[in-house]
Amino acid sequence: MAIMRDVAATDVTAIVGRDESRERSRKRQLRRYLPIGIGGLLAVAMIVIAAAAPYIAPLSPSAQFSDAVLKGPGAQDRHLLGTDEFGRDVWSRIIWGARVSLQVGLASVLFGFAIGVPLGILAGTQGGRTETLVMRCADMFMAFPTLLLALIIVTALGGTLQNEILAIGVALTPNFIRLSRSLALTIREQDYILAARALGSGQIRVMARHVFPNALYALVVVGTLYIATAIRTEAGLSFLGLGIPPPTPSWGNILSEGRQYIKCCPWITTFSGLAIMLAVLAFNLVGDSLRDLLDPRLKGE
Amino acid sequence: MINYTARRLLVAVPMLLGAMSIVFFAMRILPGDPCMAMMGDQATTSALAECTKNLGLNRPLAVQYVDYLWKSVRFDFGNSFRQGYPVREYIGRMFPHTLVLVLASAVIAALVGVPIGIVSALKRRNPLVDYPLRIFALLGLSMPVFWLGILLLMVFSLRFDLFPLIGGGDLDGAIEMIRTGEAFLYPRDFLAAVGSVLHHLTLPALALGFTLAATVSRLSRSAMLEVISQDYIRTARSKGQTERAVVYKHALRNMMVPLLTIIGLFVAIALTGTVLTETVFTRPGLGKMLVDAIGARDYPLAQGAITVFTMTIIAVNLVVDVMYAVVDPRITYR
Repeated sequence: MAIMRDVAATDVTAIVGRDESRERSRKRQLRRYLPIGIGGLLAVAMIVIAAAAPYIAPLSPSAQFSDAVLKGPGAQDRHLLGTDEFGRDVWSRIIWGARVSLQVGLASVLFGFAIGVPLGILAGTQGGRTETLVMRCADMFMAFPTLLLALIIVTALGGTLQNEILAIGVALTPNFIRLSRSLALTIREQDYILAARALGSGQIRVMARHVFPNALYALVVVGTLYIATAIRTEAGLSFLGLGIPPPTPSWGNILSEGRQYIKCCPWITTFSGLAIMLAVLAFNLVGDSLRDLLDPRLKGE
Repeated sequence: MINYTARRLLVAVPMLLGAMSIVFFAMRILPGDPCMAMMGDQATTSALAECTKNLGLNRPLAVQYVDYLWKSVRFDFGNSFRQGYPVREYIGRMFPHTLVLVLASAVIAALVGVPIGIVSALKRRNPLVDYPLRIFALLGLSMPVFWLGILLLMVFSLRFDLFPLIGGGDLDGAIEMIRTGEAFLYPRDFLAAVGSVLHHLTLPALALGFTLAATVSRLSRSAMLEVISQDYIRTARSKGQTERAVVYKHALRNMMVPLLTIIGLFVAIALTGTVLTETVFTRPGLGKMLVDAIGARDYPLAQGAITVFTMTIIAVNLVVDVMYAVVDPRITYR
């Protein structure tokens, strides 16, 4: 009897223990995937809002309501987030502004990726004079901080959507060159590269089929983080009055225009700034958690 | 050591040259004529031609380029198109304002960021500590400095009227008093000037410092993580040393190398931040000067500002690279 009870007791603790450990592992899973879940949802929401702006925005971003100039925000009102100095609906303008920010954010990173990664992989795999040439050019551009370089280019070319994408894309390119080169430097020493060469693969095939796919993980992680940088840089340029000129709404120029009215009407700057922060936060969160999930050095922590 | 420094210097020269060329040609393809910007669209053709000649813009591009490079080496950026007096003088007056802003925000960023980074690295397995700290870092990293600046202005300047809305305080006066020695003769006036500078500096430094603190905390977190996973840390622990001794004697000392990297990156980020911060707070400084110069198509002024920014960044990175070799004897230049 005593023995029976003991067995039962151990069994119970064993079961409880297993439940606890299952619970703990579920918690751990949740902790692991929560940040990327939140960030991913936010980022996707932003992209959807930007893409569907004409259907989502309650009012036209350029319609002027003369009966509601500089009206405060209110949940019951026609103007959820208030209006600006021309009587335009701030909420609708912010929704339309998402287009500029996200288009610039995504397109400029794609640009930087498309130019920078091939050059970096070429430099890293080839070595020698090619490497020196590419890296010296990259260093030259790296002497400028991203915003400053984008500012120079966009000033020279004029503030349009294409030029902003080009400017920020060029400013990001050296970062992609550096990263993909350093990745290629490690990858080219691997045995499978040697094997591919022994099988008669040419230099281009090695770079495209072996070096690039193996560098892709890290490049995507960093690329996501650069989307955040690009969105912030775009907002900065627009804030300085160098981005897309009004009346086309962008988060930066809504904020910049609202600056003159911070005393009476703080909602214009507050909400447009909040939009910038949320977008940047979303991509930072995704990039960060991707890195944590993919970086083997941090695994299990 | 000297050899290494010399090589590193030689590498910096073409980099600087390239960077300056980018600036020069970017300024030359600007749409809009500086003379037109200066005199308005009512100006007659002959007046415009006269102006172009005076500014030396009618010379061949190659001549202007060589002239620009040669003069820049001697810190001569020509005269401001708008104001007429030398750009060097202008930069000299603006530089201290930017310098105090960068220093003050560096202090704030270090005081806030480094402890946060170290604690979150050491306590990374404790979600109650790690999570709030990471959220703080993410928020700081995602918050545009100009937005934070406006929020601070709305609360502390407009609502509570504690800090001024615009300006940089009497920095020129304070510097002048130190130069002439009046600071010691009239300490009360000097302190008043310093007080006004600090009063004007508080909000901009907080805004910039907070956003930079996030970057600093991340960099120091990863630096600490890197150091703490090294073998000598395990050795120190297995010797039975206390956690305190491990952190202070072994980990922190070996953080010197990553710390240098942080400083190098920091200067570049902080200088960019001043462009936006100075604009939000309508504060005199190189960044604001650059934005205004671009708006006014004042080539020499904009060129001068960008060149100074770039030179500072290249110089800091050069010093950092040399310091690496000093701090860590394993590093030698290939």
